[in-house]
Amino acid sequence: MSDISVKNEYTPVKEDFELLEQRDINTDKNFASQSYWKGVAIHFFRNRRAVVGLVIVAMMILLAVFAPMLSGYQYDISVKAPNEKGKMKKAIGIPPRVPAIHEMVTGEKYDDIFSDLTLIFGTDDNGRDLWTRVWHGARVSLLIAFVTIIIDMIIGMSYGLISGYFGGMTDNIMQRIVEIANSIPRLVIVSVLAIFMAKGISLVIVALLLTEWIGMSKIARAEMLKMKEQEYVLASRTLGARNGHIIFKEILPNTIGPIITQVMFSIPTAIFTEAFLSFVGVGIVPPECSIGTLISDGFNNITTLTYQIIPPIIVLALLMLGFNFIGDGLREALAPKLEDM
Amino acid sequence: MKKLIAFALVMMMVLSVFGGALAADDGYLSVMLGTNVMSLDTHLATDGDSFEVIADCIDGLMQMDASGAAIPAIAESYDLSEDGKTYTFHLRDAQWANGTPVTANDFVFAWRRICELNGEYAFMFDTSVGCVKNADSILYEGADPATLGVSAPDAKTLVVELEVPVSFFPALMYFPTFYPINEAFYTSLEDGAYATGPDTFLSNGAFILEEYTPGAASFSLKKNEGYWDAARVQLPGLHYQVVTSSDNALSAFKAGQLDLVIISGNQVAAAEKDASLSSKLNVTGAGYLWYLSFSQTEKNAQGGMLANTNLRRAISYCLDRESFVEDFVMDGSIPTFTAVPPQFAASSTTGEDFSADQEMFKDLCDYDEDKAQEYFEKACEELGVSEFSFTMVFENNSGEEIIKVAQAIKESVEEVLPGIEIKLAPMTKAERLDKMQNDNFDIGLTRWGPDYADPMTYLGMWITDNSNNYGFWSNAEYDAIIADCTTGAYISDYDARWAAMYEAERLVLEDAVIAPLYTKANAKLVVDGVEGIEYHPVALNRVYKNAVKK
Amino acid sequence: MQAMTKYILKRVGLAALTLLIIVFLLFTLVRIMPGNPFPSERMNDTAIALKRAEMGLDDPILVQFGRYMANLAQGDFGKGTSLYYGAPINSVLGTCINNSFRIGGIAVVIGSLVGLLLGICAALNRGKFLDAFCTVFSILGVCVPSYVFMIFLQYNFAYQMPLLPYFFDAKQFLRSSIIPVISLSLFTMSTIARFTRNEMIEVIDSDYVRLAESKGLFGNQLIRRHVLRNALIPIVTVLAPLIVDLLTGALVVEKIYGINGIGKLMVDSIAGEAVDYNYVLALGILYSSLYIGVMLVVDILYGVLDPRIRVSAKGGAR
Repeated sequence: MSDISVKNEYTPVKEDFELLEQRDINTDKNFASQSYWKGVAIHFFRNRRAVVGLVIVAMMILLAVFAPMLSGYQYDISVKAPNEKGKMKKAIGIPPRVPAIHEMVTGEKYDDIFSDLTLIFGTDDNGRDLWTRVWHGARVSLLIAFVTIIIDMIIGMSYGLISGYFGGMTDNIMQRIVEIANSIPRLVIVSVLAIFMAKGISLVIVALLLTEWIGMSKIARAEMLKMKEQEYVLASRTLGARNGHIIFKEILPNTIGPIITQVMFSIPTAIFTEAFLSFVGVGIVPPECSIGTLISDGFNNITTLTYQIIPPIIVLALLMLGFNFIGDGLREALAPKLEDM
Repeated sequence: MKKLIAFALVMMMVLSVFGGALAADDGYLSVMLGTNVMSLDTHLATDGDSFEVIADCIDGLMQMDASGAAIPAIAESYDLSEDGKTYTFHLRDAQWANGTPVTANDFVFAWRRICELNGEYAFMFDTSVGCVKNADSILYEGADPATLGVSAPDAKTLVVELEVPVSFFPALMYFPTFYPINEAFYTSLEDGAYATGPDTFLSNGAFILEEYTPGAASFSLKKNEGYWDAARVQLPGLHYQVVTSSDNALSAFKAGQLDLVIISGNQVAAAEKDASLSSKLNVTGAGYLWYLSFSQTEKNAQGGMLANTNLRRAISYCLDRESFVEDFVMDGSIPTFTAVPPQFAASSTTGEDFSADQEMFKDLCDYDEDKAQEYFEKACEELGVSEFSFTMVFENNSGEEIIKVAQAIKESVEEVLPGIEIKLAPMTKAERLDKMQNDNFDIGLTRWGPDYADPMTYLGMWITDNSNNYGFWSNAEYDAIIADCTTGAYISDYDARWAAMYEAERLVLEDAVIAPLYTKANAKLVVDGVEGIEYHPVALNRVYKNAVKK
Repeated sequence: MQAMTKYILKRVGLAALTLLIIVFLLFTLVRIMPGNPFPSERMNDTAIALKRAEMGLDDPILVQFGRYMANLAQGDFGKGTSLYYGAPINSVLGTCINNSFRIGGIAVVIGSLVGLLLGICAALNRGKFLDAFCTVFSILGVCVPSYVFMIFLQYNFAYQMPLLPYFFDAKQFLRSSIIPVISLSLFTMSTIARFTRNEMIEVIDSDYVRLAESKGLFGNQLIRRHVLRNALIPIVTVLAPLIVDLLTGALVVEKIYGINGIGKLMVDSIAGEAVDYNYVLALGILYSSLYIGVMLVVDILYGVLDPRIRVSAKGGAR
């Protein structure tokens, strides 16, 4: 057969071809210039709740950065005023007060030596301004929150996805490692680590690194187990996609819902873990503070000086509300199935 | 959703209505304990709460009266030999809860056992305290416990031989370490099972265990009808509840759940402001002295900077003890300017408290910013350094107030002496002890409670090589005074010994071996109608033998 | 079925091996922890040396480990080194397990059921008041620590309105467990509610539910058959560790409410007066066996919930 056509053979030259990509026939004009991430961003910012969440978190960050500088007090030095004898007295356990408002409402001044001081959240047991301390503490807790997100998203997610995807012996070994890591009480690990490194926030972060990813890895693994049997994965594999591609490009986007929910819930857990570690003396050291330690300090006076525990809890709740709104927004923007596409 | 809430409320109501009375109205006295009872075995108990419960159930040779003096209990009387070294106790007819009589042999057995097992309080027998004959060789050289200087010539006579005369020996006899154990009962139990529950514990005292498991958060005792002095005991029983938070203690008291609670800090302030509570508030001494201990070895404190006396004194002058007590502890604790805390060691000749005069050494450790700076400058000159950074270790689980005090110490030292930085290091008790015992700290914020009613329980700690002399201070003059007071020249001359101990105390404070802070008190709320509970700063914190609940 | 039995047997065998590794690691780690097992202010060195010898703490670690495992094989955890001296750990642990398991068990059941219900209601009323309530409730539920919530209950229902006992009392177990159960279940409730709501919504939006709807399925049947079943996998996954945590006791809640439980014992044995080697080990073994067991159940449950899933199977490039 080939013999016959040999003489008329035409050798194709480069000009005969045209690159398909340059032709612009398949692109929808409406979303023409959108990349995937740009689409996500548009969806995200169209979501009112997500924007509210973003604003809350941004406010918290701004307050954490600037409020302690602008308050006029220091987080580690007590507020003092001279008494009748001229001795400096510490403002111990003063409930929230704004003299200007108080005078407007009651027409009287506060009847003590601290009558001129504005203490928005009151003072703590050492006479330090709680407004300053709460926002100073928010810095530590925000750091913990972001570290947790990173730990969850990088270590936890990859670990779980890989373990679930490969299954069999790989999964078996990886899950046994999780069981071992999860079974040693955190306090034991941290106490031993404290021999080798200085106590403080870095030790807390190492402690979180060791165990905080486990919950996430379990979720990611469960999602992977569910997803890997689905038809589109089989299709992708048939087409010759590599494992890495299937795991991170095909399956991951479909599992993002529970993963985001899990991230949101691991943040307060991490913040309280930090407080617990600090309480037993392996975390941050007083007079340094965090939202978690402020809550446990306030707990000592919960029924007698209730005002002490309320601000840190509200700040934490607002922060979580913000994170959750952002999480929900991201989930809806990332998940291709949802109605508001 | 509404249905759900309604259902939950209804369930709650139903359960509470059909569940019977909330607090059993059995006339028992409900009392708060600050910590778990660690053990009811006299050889193993180490904390005040355990001692209190043991003393509720077991009587020793002597007991404490309301003022803290030793009065006869199982011993009806005692004779002292002329050389002051042999005590002969005559036992009364008392019996154990199982009906067997309390004999002198029960004491011999218990004492030998303690020396053999060498527990934490076995030192009460050695030459630092009780000076019982041969105790040192049994405890530290492995001699046969049978050689201990205690014997039972007959069932009702106990003879104790001492190495040297000990003026306060009868007063030691109310300390639980010297309590008896019924040998037959003990040996009938499985190894290690003694004192782990009502069935494995035998009383001869005012109460018997009704319900108890090791580590229990709550347990109860009931009156021992067979007690030799049963007529005196009015309470039908005691209910103990472990409460670790001062705030929770206050609420529990207000809720009527507990008849006696100990509170501190802001809760005291709140109770004082509350008219219905302030009348129920009373304060008694708890004995504990809180103080700063300075490491003087070269290993620590920037190469042993704290070995400089002027530096230590400068730090001591920075501390406003009155403010600590007023602003943070708030429970009536006493600012202390002596190395031996007040309120526990009364002279047996004059009856006056050893440290009643707090002004005596006040110029050595009072709050004085000018003096602090003056001494600090001297120290800087001598050391050739002007910047210091010290780590202060303290326990994070021995009361909320100590964390506040630690922060206040840091704040005021750094404010008065800007050249010094103090880093706080809160840790568990196990870790703090480990650090201090292995000479691995700069400054230690710690406390010491009196083991017996004599200043020596404090002064004995600062002699060279004492295991509690964490700072490794050493002074030959001081060692000589203490040796004279314990086993040497002064043992038979009470007044000379008393005067010598003041001299020793002066040395401690002049050298600022420690910086005393305050003597702990217990602020208590006691429900109306409860009377007769006796409080003591030493040995047994609370005694209920005379208590009445109306 | 036979494959399943084989799989379970294999897992149980592996669990024993894992447990052995955990015990050895713990055994070594507690001995490295700062703080000696006899933190005594009054004992001198001779006395401490004697005690160490008595407990065999100076032997090579492998010898100690062998001795410990030999006792453990007979079900004997030994005695505490410094905590509640003398009492056999088995008996102390028994009481604690009894209290913590019962209270934790009820808390798990209530927490997961109410959470599930709340999540389903929120998902079905998406965007309405109940949904917003569910969101705020779950956020508060994880932000307010259980012990703070417990004080709130204690203060209101045991003091202001004295309906319930102020402290735990084993004699009136049911009534005195209401307060700790409610406060402990709060976290589980919020987590489960949130996961259920989010999962349900995702499933409701999926193609196959739309298909089922278009085929005329609706209401309870649709929810039960298609939606819930598919949403359960992540819920079971989050619930599993929560069950283990709740059963093994809540540290602060037990301490404040006076429950003689596992959480309180754990704090006492690590952060209390001393580090008690044997209690830490016993509690570690208890915790890991529970965890390993629950994880095995979860892996089997996956297959039940979605028959396509077989954990035992090899995945990847099959």
